[in-house]
Amino acid sequence: MSAVAAQVPSPAAPENAPTTMRVRKRNGALEPVDVNKIVRAVGRCCAGLTQVDALRIATKTIGGLYEGATTKELDALSIGTAASLIVDEPEYSKLAARLLATYIDKEVTNQEIHSFSQSISAGHRLGLIADRVAAFVAANSRKLNSAIEAERTGLFEYFGLRTVYDRYLLKHPERRTVIETPQFFFLRVACGLAETVHDAVELYRLFSTLEYIPSTPTLFNSGTRHEQLSSCFLLDAPQDDLESIYRKYMDVAMLSKFSGGIGLAYHRVRSQGSLIRGTNGHSNGIVPWLKTLDASVSAVNQGGKRKGACCVYLETWHADIEAFLELRDNTGDEARRTHNLNLANWIPDLFMRRVEEDGVWSLFDPKDMPHLTDLYGDEFERAYLSAEAEGLHVRQLKARDLYARMMRTLAQTGNGWMTFKDASNRKSNQTAWLGAVVHLSNLCTEIIEVTSQDETAVCNLGSLNLARYVSEGRFAFEKLAANVRLAVRQLDRVIDINYYAIPTAASSNARWRPVGLGVMGLQDVLFQLRLPFDSPEALTLSTKIQEEIYFHALTASCELAERLGAHPAFAETRAARGELQFDAWGVVPEDAARWDALRERMKEKGLRNSLMIAIAPTATIASIVGSYESIEPQVSNLFKRETLSGDFLQINRYLVADLKRVGLWTDEIRARIKLAEGSIQGIAEIPDDLKLLYRTAWEVPMRALIDLAAARGAFIDQSQSLNLFAESPNIGKLSSMYMYAWKRGLKTTYYLRSRPATRIAQTTVSGATAAGFKEAEAVACSLENPESCEACQ
Amino acid sequence: MLLNPGFNLTLRPMKYPAFYEMYRSAIKNTWTVEEVDFSTDLMDLQGRMTDAERHLINRLVAFFATGDSIVSNNLVLNLYKHLNAPEARMYLSRQLYEEALHVQFYLTLLDTYIPEMREREQAFAAVDNISSIRQKAQFCLRWMDSVHKLDKLQTESERKQFLLNLICFAACIEGLFFFAAFAYVYFLRSRGLLHGLAAGTNWVFRDESAHMAFAFEAVRVIRREEPELFDDELAGNITAMMEEAVACETQFAEDLLSGGVAGMSVAEMRRYLEFVADQRLTMLGLPARYGAKNPFPFMDLQDVQELANFFERRVSAYQVGVEGEVAFDHAF
Repeated sequence: MSAVAAQVPSPAAPENAPTTMRVRKRNGALEPVDVNKIVRAVGRCCAGLTQVDALRIATKTIGGLYEGATTKELDALSIGTAASLIVDEPEYSKLAARLLATYIDKEVTNQEIHSFSQSISAGHRLGLIADRVAAFVAANSRKLNSAIEAERTGLFEYFGLRTVYDRYLLKHPERRTVIETPQFFFLRVACGLAETVHDAVELYRLFSTLEYIPSTPTLFNSGTRHEQLSSCFLLDAPQDDLESIYRKYMDVAMLSKFSGGIGLAYHRVRSQGSLIRGTNGHSNGIVPWLKTLDASVSAVNQGGKRKGACCVYLETWHADIEAFLELRDNTGDEARRTHNLNLANWIPDLFMRRVEEDGVWSLFDPKDMPHLTDLYGDEFERAYLSAEAEGLHVRQLKARDLYARMMRTLAQTGNGWMTFKDASNRKSNQTAWLGAVVHLSNLCTEIIEVTSQDETAVCNLGSLNLARYVSEGRFAFEKLAANVRLAVRQLDRVIDINYYAIPTAASSNARWRPVGLGVMGLQDVLFQLRLPFDSPEALTLSTKIQEEIYFHALTASCELAERLGAHPAFAETRAARGELQFDAWGVVPEDAARWDALRERMKEKGLRNSLMIAIAPTATIASIVGSYESIEPQVSNLFKRETLSGDFLQINRYLVADLKRVGLWTDEIRARIKLAEGSIQGIAEIPDDLKLLYRTAWEVPMRALIDLAAARGAFIDQSQSLNLFAESPNIGKLSSMYMYAWKRGLKTTYYLRSRPATRIAQTTVSGATAAGFKEAEAVACSLENPESCEACQ
Repeated sequence: MLLNPGFNLTLRPMKYPAFYEMYRSAIKNTWTVEEVDFSTDLMDLQGRMTDAERHLINRLVAFFATGDSIVSNNLVLNLYKHLNAPEARMYLSRQLYEEALHVQFYLTLLDTYIPEMREREQAFAAVDNISSIRQKAQFCLRWMDSVHKLDKLQTESERKQFLLNLICFAACIEGLFFFAAFAYVYFLRSRGLLHGLAAGTNWVFRDESAHMAFAFEAVRVIRREEPELFDDELAGNITAMMEEAVACETQFAEDLLSGGVAGMSVAEMRRYLEFVADQRLTMLGLPARYGAKNPFPFMDLQDVQELANFFERRVSAYQVGVEGEVAFDHAF
């Protein structure tokens, strides 16, 4: 049946059409489309690429044109065409990136911008670049211009460059054309963060080699007039009164305005049914306040670049906890739903123990128990138990029923993240003194910092791209050490330059000076070294990498303290007593001597920063550098990324290289990978060692992810955004998983990722034909049907 | 047999558990129009799109707004009547709700996209005043009317007539017309445009895929029970109907793309339609008619798992309906 189909000629035969098509040139003249001209233009970008075909791009591009299309549309179309072939042959990603780079260069030079300093002065003239930075560049233009290494743009894959072009490069305010190339952009960010030319060039080297990248707010705003460079803000709960609640909306709005993500606690606000003395009425609880917050958050658009985002934290004893867990449901009363807020549970150990022993759980009104949120550990438990004994609770329920409700929320919405109050406080460097309490984590559950009514915690982030640290089959720890020190100096510098939208953020950040150095591309390292995610070697390496980062980060902070002084609150930290993160986990690192030496130096000179390490999800910056996100396993060997700049297909290029090596990278295998939604486990021809290595997040045991997280946790003084995955979640599996995560001492977990219950029909491969695929392909590729085989053109 | 006239009420023993499972899966994928965020669509329409692209969108939404209502009507008037199994009717009831949801989605969309009242009314009356849409509607209505008079499927020829109706709605209307419409939406989305439309369409697409799967399962059951219905005459009629649907959708494409849209030509759309038509025929066990290959790489995108960045969009992959009890010894 398929054989017959392959011989039927296509009646439309659109391939013959383009000969008469004309395009409109930039000067307005119409000109016939010339295939050879397009082939030559594409060919110029193909140097060193062996698997790409310029003619294929040219003919496909012409097929999508219409009469009178502009040459600019033609350029854009050829870039899109190259990008669409990435799944057939990953080298097309490089080609598409080079075509795009040429396109960007044209756009920039058309505005008479030919050098870095010209780009900065244009930006300054247009009111985008800060005076300070413009002056710095003007004074050092020769040195800075010659620092530019244009060929480093070649390091980008298409998706990364596209993201940079669409969203990061500074645009002319009216014309909307970009006024900087990707390399100018990196140097602009570096100049915004540097005190000397030498520093600027060093930082530029760090960014442009894609070995380390600061977080998105820093990339967006460094060197500009709006130097809001921090990623994360943690706000304490409003006090239990109207004024305080409304002031907090204002704080959230001000902080969202310049690209920050917000964590907000709500533990202090009274629960439903509580008496309001002023009016002698009863409170409606926290839900209406959160509904208002929901609207407020979506109204504030982060500098026109992305929507605001906020996560609300609630302690498990709060009497509105059940209504809280329903806020993201997509059924029920819309007045009690908040579709834009993220939700997290702030869970005391006592609750998990009650779940384990199948006990009761008491819910309290914060109006009656205002002190509970400011206590943790043994003191919390004493206060909770005595209140329970006195019968001060609003009501009681089975701990397991509430826990099951939490699991259901996770499975249904991915939200309702499980974060652990006691682990977060006991293992925090900032809680050495009585009264210093961590009340919440942030939007992505990797920041753990104390807050109070006077202190809004802030953190600025950056991530090492581990994918760039493997050479000749080993992990380059020396390079890592050097780059960590450079990165810490940059992150520390942000604290002084940063614009603080609210005073409580400025005062807190000056006192504690926390930074969050993270990683991305762990999965790349494991692929490069051929280590399955759940292998003992992966566990050892991942832990070692984290230990080295922690060690060198502390060392760098100690050096900064020697030069610039310790952070003002150093005496209030556990580090001042010589206690480090791994001590809190009961872990003894190798090479105790170097750690002892560091401890001594630290006690004497102090640290410039109270916190050093936080592993962020890195969603956007990982796509810029073309690595797997954060510490995550790959989600699929073949997946689509949806972003504001459109959709992009990603393929696991390590897998493709391996399949090519064993002669299995064929149309048929490709179609079968697609049919299996990016899994290779069911493809019999693929050798077992590859199947083991290239499992997806849905196929790797979650126990291994938790074990990896717990092992590296000993060297993370804040926390990590740990996503967990479950193909088809049920309460039994989830409750086991999160109980294990708690027992292993994790401070926080992040999304529960699951898959939809029904799927969209695949349009381009179908189950019905897949079985007969081999035969059909064989016919299509035979010499008798040369026209029908695109792969051979 | 599934097509035997009557109103069977017996759920145990269940004769067609596959239908019941489809019903249950559908329940798990409940979504609401309120979840769709249209906030950037208007800015795209006004600031980032050409006149030609806006024309495309206006026509497309106008088609959507009426298309789902036609499908609902056929479901109530024909399918529900003749597919005689309570579990099948449970699925159809759920489908009916989903069709209404889609109508609500496109209603909200039109209200948002077309602020001008008179223009909006024009769009809703597309069936009457836009020729390219009228032709499609006429195609649908003709196949709907073809079985409308049948109260009971007694004879072989009546059953074949019903099969053609079932296949027309599954393979030509949901399976071709809607798939073409989705292609336009995904084309625009692949260029980063109209996220609200794309997000909602993604969910609509997921539902429509399930509807099609149900109809094809029904066809498979009927074929198993009454193989004699599937003769050359029926095959010929199906292929002819498919050809007509492709022609009908091609003239719609000519209207939609009449302003010139870079990256999507009528010739390519035609090839895509042929490719999809071949797939539908293959699913029905018939020979492919055209031998066309998919010309649209962005539809490849559609097939692949999404990994959205939550800063930018809500992830559309969550399940409704979770079972089980608290335990601590399950594998994970």
